Amino acid sequence: MPIIDVHRLEKTFPIKKHRTGAMGSIASLIRGDNGGEFTAVNNVSFKIERGEMVGYIGPNGAGKSTTIKMLTGILVPTSGEATIAGLVPWEKRKQLAQKIGVVFGQRTQLWWDLALIESLELLRHLYRVPEERFRENLATATDLLGLGEFLHTPVRQLSLGQRMRGDLAAALLHDPEILYLDEPTIGLDIVAKEAIREFLITLNRDRQTTVLLTTHDLDDIERLCPRIIVIDHGEVMYDGQLASLKSRWGGRRQLIIDYAGDPDAAIASMGNGDMAVTEVDGPRVTIAFDRDEISAPDVLTRASAFGEIRDMSIQEPEIEDVIRRMYDGSIPAGM
Amino acid sequence: MDKPITLREELGIAWKIAGIRLRGQMAYRTSFWLQIFGNFFTNFAEVLALFAMFYQFDTLGGWTLGEVALLHGISMIAFSLGDLLTVGMDSVAPQIRSGDFDRVLTRPLGSWMNAATSEFSLRHLGQALQGVLVLGFALTQVEIAWSIDKALLVPVMFISGIALFMALFTIEAIFSFWTVNGVEAINAFTYGGSDLAQFPMHIFGRSLRFIFFWIVPVGFITYYPALYLLEKPDPLGMPDWFVLLGPVITTIFCAVVSWGWNQGIRHYRSTGS
Repeated sequence: MPIIDVHRLEKTFPIKKHRTGAMGSIASLIRGDNGGEFTAVNNVSFKIERGEMVGYIGPNGAGKSTTIKMLTGILVPTSGEATIAGLVPWEKRKQLAQKIGVVFGQRTQLWWDLALIESLELLRHLYRVPEERFRENLATATDLLGLGEFLHTPVRQLSLGQRMRGDLAAALLHDPEILYLDEPTIGLDIVAKEAIREFLITLNRDRQTTVLLTTHDLDDIERLCPRIIVIDHGEVMYDGQLASLKSRWGGRRQLIIDYAGDPDAAIASMGNGDMAVTEVDGPRVTIAFDRDEISAPDVLTRASAFGEIRDMSIQEPEIEDVIRRMYDGSIPAGM
Repeated sequence: MDKPITLREELGIAWKIAGIRLRGQMAYRTSFWLQIFGNFFTNFAEVLALFAMFYQFDTLGGWTLGEVALLHGISMIAFSLGDLLTVGMDSVAPQIRSGDFDRVLTRPLGSWMNAATSEFSLRHLGQALQGVLVLGFALTQVEIAWSIDKALLVPVMFISGIALFMALFTIEAIFSFWTVNGVEAINAFTYGGSDLAQFPMHIFGRSLRFIFFWIVPVGFITYYPALYLLEKPDPLGMPDWFVLLGPVITTIFCAVVSWGWNQGIRHYRSTGS
């Protein structure tokens, strides 16, 4: 049975007609808002098995956060069904909270005026974590996330990276089965990002924690998520393996060749469908080719007819490009 | 833990949270006491006004200084403790605006309990302390022929009073689920209600009495219990059993507010991202 099962989920928001002042507010209360509706999430369905790590991606305003908020029980959907760890989130919110961990990259769940350790103590009570389990989890988190140096620092004095590590530890104190991460690496430097990714990989491997992650950072996706769900305008556009998305639609690799001198100008018209010269910049030539049609050595052999090759490199298609093209509508949506 | 959390457990958790937060505040001891004394003195004006009034008049609507002080004491204690227990409600509106209210809903506590415990401060103890002093003063001035039913009435009166003010402070928060600009008008009922409850209700006009007995039932939490304790006849001519209406009406009031809160939670829209 999938641990996350979402079926035709939909959420519409009424568009507020702005009324001003106290009387206006009261009028809104009585008469409601009549500015039409906006569909944030439209007919979204997917299933996630226990232990999967899935990237939920899409541009700003695509409906990512709205979906996550319905799956945590924060928002009640307009229609559709969802079962998370056997519970309907908006009906059994409190029980579900005990089984999920939630990290919002842009907000903290720690108390600003308390030391990190005190915040964690507080959460221990909130989630009714047995003392012994708390000690174990705290020790693991301290070890893997390096919390030791700032455990007794007030949260408001922590750096963003430290705070995020604290938040991750906080979200995992009660051994959740599912971890929702909303932009977990936003604003962090490369070292901090890498530390968090390592931690998530370890967590997923050792505890089989299911992870659903929204992010704009495609490196996060490449490192963490074998499977991605792409959403735009509230609808699922792609659900499948990251690798097959790349090979199906981002399939063109690039070969960058540095010639000893400027190559023969005829190179610009080299190739016939299976490959194409995309850029000639003095001695540097970029050739895009389809790996299912032609191998890199063959491309190289043919390119060597236009001059003496000094160096070359191959670039894998970037997921960023694939998704950008998907958003632009140049790739047909759906599978 | 698969069992749903019980109210008892929730209260236990709220108590522990309050303890931890209090310890945090005690780290700044001077600021802690200053807050309490500040709260004590800002509310001192009410007491001064009471004494000033009785400097001019001997009675108010047939009630002596001691008798009105009894109403003041009860109302101040109920109001300040109700405020103390719902400090977190003040932060519901800003939390909704910033989106931090999401946090309240990802925790395994009832949403109301979670919101109420999201802030904690003991500064309202200043006013409660003042209420205790005023009540103490009143008890030196009036004769109460104590009996078992009167002794039983006292805790019932305080509990329903505190519950009523907690519900009133919750109403302010409920409105913020619909309108991002808090509806300040509600203050007229909360603060106005506590002010009115400090005086014998029969001195007010018919419409004001109607509001503060039957819509915001503060009249039932001070006026009728005080009449009963003092064995004074009711100038409004209501029967004796009206004294029992306090807890009943408070229960109904709290049930309606609790329904409203749940509607608010269902209606919560969160903010973008």
